[in-house]
Amino acid sequence: MYFDVSIDTFKIYIVRSGIMKQGNIKIDSISKSFDGVEVLKNISFEIKGGEFFSILGGSGCGKTTLLRMIAGFIEADKGAIYLGKKDITHLSPNKRDVNTIFQTYALFPHLTIYENIAFPLRLKKVKEAEIDREVKKYLELVKLSEHANKYSSQLSGGQKQRVAIARALINKPKVLLLDEPLSALDAKLRQHMLIELDNIHEEVGITFVFVTHDQQEALSVSDRIAVMKDGEVLQIGTPNEIYESPANAYVADFIGETNFIEGEVVEVEENFAYLESTSYGRIKFELDKEVMVGQYVKLTIRPEKVKVTKSKPRYLDDNDNIFKGKVEEMIYSGFQSKFFVTVGNQLFSAFKQHVDFFEEDAETIHWKDEVYIIWDSADSFLLEVI
Amino acid sequence: MNKKKFSMNIFILTLVFLYLPLVVLIVQSFNSGKGVSWDGFSLKWYDELFNHSARLWTSFKYSILIAVTSSIISTAIGTLGAISLQWYSFKHKKYLQVISYLPLVLPDIIMGVSLLILFTSIKFKLGLFSIFLAHTTFNIPFVLFIVLSRLHDFDYSIVEAAYDLGATEKETLTKVVLPNLMPGIISGLLMSITLSLDDFVITFFVAGPGSSTLPLHIYSMIKFGVSPVINALSVILIAGTIALAMSTKKIQKYMVS
Amino acid sequence: MKNQRNGLVYSAPITLWLTLLFVAPTLIVIIYSFLKKGIYGGVEWIFSIDGYNFFKSSYFLKVVWNTVEISVVVTFLTVLIAIPVALYIATSKYKNFLLFLIIIPFWTNFLIRIYSWISLLGNNGLLNNLLIKFGLEPHQFIYNKFAVILVSIYAYLPYAILPLYSAIEKFDFAIIDAARDLGASKMKAYMKTFLPNIKPGIITATLFTFIPALGSYAIPKLVGGNDSQMLGNVIARELTITRDWPKAAAISTILTIITVIFIIVLSKYDKDHKGGKV
Repeated sequence: MYFDVSIDTFKIYIVRSGIMKQGNIKIDSISKSFDGVEVLKNISFEIKGGEFFSILGGSGCGKTTLLRMIAGFIEADKGAIYLGKKDITHLSPNKRDVNTIFQTYALFPHLTIYENIAFPLRLKKVKEAEIDREVKKYLELVKLSEHANKYSSQLSGGQKQRVAIARALINKPKVLLLDEPLSALDAKLRQHMLIELDNIHEEVGITFVFVTHDQQEALSVSDRIAVMKDGEVLQIGTPNEIYESPANAYVADFIGETNFIEGEVVEVEENFAYLESTSYGRIKFELDKEVMVGQYVKLTIRPEKVKVTKSKPRYLDDNDNIFKGKVEEMIYSGFQSKFFVTVGNQLFSAFKQHVDFFEEDAETIHWKDEVYIIWDSADSFLLEVI
Repeated sequence: MNKKKFSMNIFILTLVFLYLPLVVLIVQSFNSGKGVSWDGFSLKWYDELFNHSARLWTSFKYSILIAVTSSIISTAIGTLGAISLQWYSFKHKKYLQVISYLPLVLPDIIMGVSLLILFTSIKFKLGLFSIFLAHTTFNIPFVLFIVLSRLHDFDYSIVEAAYDLGATEKETLTKVVLPNLMPGIISGLLMSITLSLDDFVITFFVAGPGSSTLPLHIYSMIKFGVSPVINALSVILIAGTIALAMSTKKIQKYMVS
Repeated sequence: MKNQRNGLVYSAPITLWLTLLFVAPTLIVIIYSFLKKGIYGGVEWIFSIDGYNFFKSSYFLKVVWNTVEISVVVTFLTVLIAIPVALYIATSKYKNFLLFLIIIPFWTNFLIRIYSWISLLGNNGLLNNLLIKFGLEPHQFIYNKFAVILVSIYAYLPYAILPLYSAIEKFDFAIIDAARDLGASKMKAYMKTFLPNIKPGIITATLFTFIPALGSYAIPKLVGGNDSQMLGNVIARELTITRDWPKAAAISTILTIITVIFIIVLSKYDKDHKGGKV
């Protein structure tokens, strides 16, 4: 063996703590307009070195523009971008210590896989022997050693992406930018690649900035997520924070599915309050924020926290909200069913996993059945005062 | 299908129309007599072509020289121009688009006349170099449009990837853009060589005394009625063109794979 | 790195070259057409519109008329023949081979192609010899308008076939079936669906035939006669023999203007009638 390609050798090459501190990104009051349309509106936030950070949003929210700005392909109208201590706002892409994985991988069609990965090192005029060592190492990392002499046209989508990753990492950049890297892959492969990306991030330890419109992807691998809409950042937090404590209705609805409840506050206690909803009566909810009687508030309750039963459950306490409704629609998905229940004039969605715990769960619910929906008032989340 | 038969007939008639004069030429080149009536098979005109036509071969040499040099220069200039139009904005972009389109649609004679007047008015001596300048000028727009149409389908993300990985503008151009643009560049080069070898009108106006290209020489041969050698030359040229076309197809096939 | 500077670097060589060797000469020609003829040829820098006096000469007007007439006839016939030929090739199984067959003669030298007709059409040529053999009177086939038109069609046919082939290849023939299904006769279906949809091809073919025809020099010179001298020949004569440069420049300018007007009219026609009405 001429060289050792174990993961530990990797970690020796990349001094984690040093890289991590240098790999943090500061976005400072960035604004950008195209043809009179404001695409980024005064955005400021920080990405910590070594994080797996996702930027999540629908099309047109500005996430790709922001990513390309960090890469250096677009210049901001106003504001600055810092990489570690360095102001990179006006640096051209080839001078930034940042590398990008493109949506279509952008592999060089005229070069072999080996040469594609070697490309950055050849630019730096690294010695041939060292290039060989490094390229082989990264080919091992992405498990493509046998394909070294193939051309990109001979590879599958997943393999092409791995080449793109190896090529970007061989430069040992401080940050890796990923522009919707999984959107061109089919569903099963997407999941597999997502896990691989997570593993590579673990091994390499540098900052990953991951842009996607798929909230499931973002939730599953990110350390933190920034949710964007119309050029603004609505919320930044861990996946759990974003899911359980969404900043507003848009975030709540964008991430996963949810139910909204609105009403006037009629009573306030120490940790809970009650609102009067127009369609179905009094609802108890946990006070995540301070409210006063008379205010209109909006709650959100995730469908998996709403129980659906045919017969009235036996174990209820006064923290539970319970209503009667009729099953309008059900969607069976093997491991779970989604129920859409009308309560009053509102349609509630409730997810039920098919696991038999209590007697009630053993009942089969049919379309048009009269059912009870129950949820614990601690499970709802107070979004905002309207 | 009535329409199908009709168009097939027209097609066949057209083929006959296109090939008939060439067939006559080929047959006549082996005719030992000067006139139209058949005098017996002979290769004497070929003999005269190859062994007693020094001036013709000189003009052929000049044609090749000018074709190669003008096509290399025009391909280089045209390729860079196409890149500028496809990926960059600059103040005179609209102007460039207009002036690179016009030469393609204006009749040759206008270009020939205007170049002649230009050269004479600045007292520039007419000769091989003036022909070279003229040929490069009319070749550039062809190269530009051929390369530009290739650029329309070019995956620009590999250019961004090159920058992203640390390449300078020059490195990106030489290591990524040009290698992937090669088929278009070669097409442009071949087109230029063909146009240059074949050009008569423009060359006629800008040539000086003593500098002659093959088409000019052929023209003077036709005017002075030295017929049968022209027949032999025609056959050689036709054969050569077909051979070149065949080998070009082979090269292009090879490049695509 | 789409910055301004790189764009300037890439575009500089071509812009400079074409400006010096295309734009400048064209402008010089226009300027020269408004100068006075020099005594020994060349020009004198005095403003004069003598160059444009040729409008008054009936000879020149005849030449202008001949040029336009011949060009129109040639273009019409060429495009007319090219359409069914391109149609046949595009709908054939062997389209690449047939296309290749059409192009081979195209690749032989332009002058050779003209010359090949001289031995056919000449007064002692093949055609006349055949007529005599069959006991018929020999006919003047060459050094006249007929020869110019025939040889021009021969020369420009491939220029018309190629763009038409390209346009027809993209045409979805199912449309014709749909039209017939809706009640149109075969002729009507072709006229109302096929022709309008290949219009860009027809326009390009027209452009690539009419303009070279307009600027013909070699063909009328080699096979034309007194009834078929074209503008190109007149310009050359004024330049080299009569040495009346302003006149040559003026005729050249007029030719340029006619060409440009034609291009503008054609491109407007293409834009206005994009969809094609039924």
